[in-house]
Amino acid sequence: MAELQLHHLDKIYDNNVQAVYDFNLDVKDGELIVLVGPSGCGKSTTLRMVAGLEDISRGNLLLDGRDITQAPAKDRDMAMVFQNYALYGHMTIYENMAFSLTLRKENPNVIHKKVLAAAEILDLTAQLNKKPSQLSGGQRQRVAMGRAIVRNPKVFLFDEPLSNLDAKLRSATRREILLLHKRLNATILYVTHDQTEALTLANRIVCMSMGHVQQIGTPLELYDSPNNTFVATFIGLPPMNMLKVTIEDGKAKGDGFEVPLSAEDCAMLAPWSRKEVILGVRPEYIAEGGDLKLKVSTNENLGMTTLVHGKMGENTRLTAKFRSWANYKNGDIVPIHFTRMLFFDPETTNAIRKEGK
Amino acid sequence: MSDDRVTQLDRMRYTKNTASSRLALLAIVFDVLFFISLYKSDVDTYYYTILIGASIVYNLIFLLAAFLCSEGVKNYQVSYSWAMMVLGAGQILRIFIIPMDAHKTLVNNAPVMGDAQFTRIVIYLTLSAVALFAGAVINLQKSRALSAHLASLKA
Repeated sequence: MAELQLHHLDKIYDNNVQAVYDFNLDVKDGELIVLVGPSGCGKSTTLRMVAGLEDISRGNLLLDGRDITQAPAKDRDMAMVFQNYALYGHMTIYENMAFSLTLRKENPNVIHKKVLAAAEILDLTAQLNKKPSQLSGGQRQRVAMGRAIVRNPKVFLFDEPLSNLDAKLRSATRREILLLHKRLNATILYVTHDQTEALTLANRIVCMSMGHVQQIGTPLELYDSPNNTFVATFIGLPPMNMLKVTIEDGKAKGDGFEVPLSAEDCAMLAPWSRKEVILGVRPEYIAEGGDLKLKVSTNENLGMTTLVHGKMGENTRLTAKFRSWANYKNGDIVPIHFTRMLFFDPETTNAIRKEGK
Repeated sequence: MSDDRVTQLDRMRYTKNTASSRLALLAIVFDVLFFISLYKSDVDTYYYTILIGASIVYNLIFLLAAFLCSEGVKNYQVSYSWAMMVLGAGQILRIFIIPMDAHKTLVNNAPVMGDAQFTRIVIYLTLSAVALFAGAVINLQKSRALSAHLASLKA
């Protein structure tokens, strides 16, 4: 049982720079929450505040209802896994994993059983007598996770644990983290700047920018119904196309293109009639065939899909993701249509949604 | 065999034999204490003999060998136990060479090595030898227990 509540957390440094603004989050028992955002958005600072490595300037942090805002890191019953593994190079894997328990003067036999159990979970049994330098990056990160597991903490904190790994290893280790979460049913706070990690791992995602929480929701909510243009462009790869359009005569008119709107969209966009809005189209919401013309500039084949970059009109840049192998050349005109569209207020950048949604 | 004992044995698969290793290092410490207490400069020509050179060379060899043993027994290697026993026996034997000879030899009607110095040196060498023997015995016991445990795991 480990429920974590972050109430109105602020982080203000001594030089009056505010890194985190009014952060609110209730983490349920066994939930995997991913904090995602670009560098400098305050996600790691938030994690470090939870871990007790940074002071909390304002707000409260509660673990299972107990206020731990001022509690030292060692008394918080949390284990942190760092990006750089933070393993002791002169110790064996066994000694690294047992280290925190040895410091607590636990019974050596109990430590041994815990280390073997964690090694079994992480498939590290054969590596226990080796030194960290003899292991691959992925194995080292698993050791770092093992060191956290043996402590049996209430909350696991992961600070960009996969950033040092190459793409293939990152994907494999990501799956291991997912399996680990299912197996331990642990409460996990996970920080990353990689939206793929966020989408694949999270029960819920907290998307942050400039110290502010932009949206909290399930991966599908963030992908399908982003709160604003930041979330819309940050989640999804390639990012969502943002096109300036004017709502007029049941159409969204942009530079060199016009898109007819459904009755539902017309009703929703009635207050923006003859005004400019931002039309958001994910590359995967664009399909071949239709009335719109895309002038191709580059064509990237990715195997099962093709990314086509080009322009509609003079200044409207667009990226489309087609579910086929295409070989368009620079200058080709490709007929396209949008299968789904989102709209954003250009002033507030917030999503324009139907009443009640 | 109790569960605790089995776990204790199993732990040895991943932990070093620090007890034996530290005893070997302790033997080095006592040897150094012995060696820095051995010579005196105001006893005429007593120390200008071939034995002195041999004792210095042996001491260097002892330091190196004892250190290697301390590393070897860490990994439960039986052969280092025997080496430690030989080194321990050597420390006992050394009592009867220079210290004993210097204690018996008179220069200007006084022994080269007085009672107090001789006693101190005998104690250092004995302690060094005891540390080596103890380390060797502990390593023998542990490595045999570990071998038996590994054999039972294989079976």
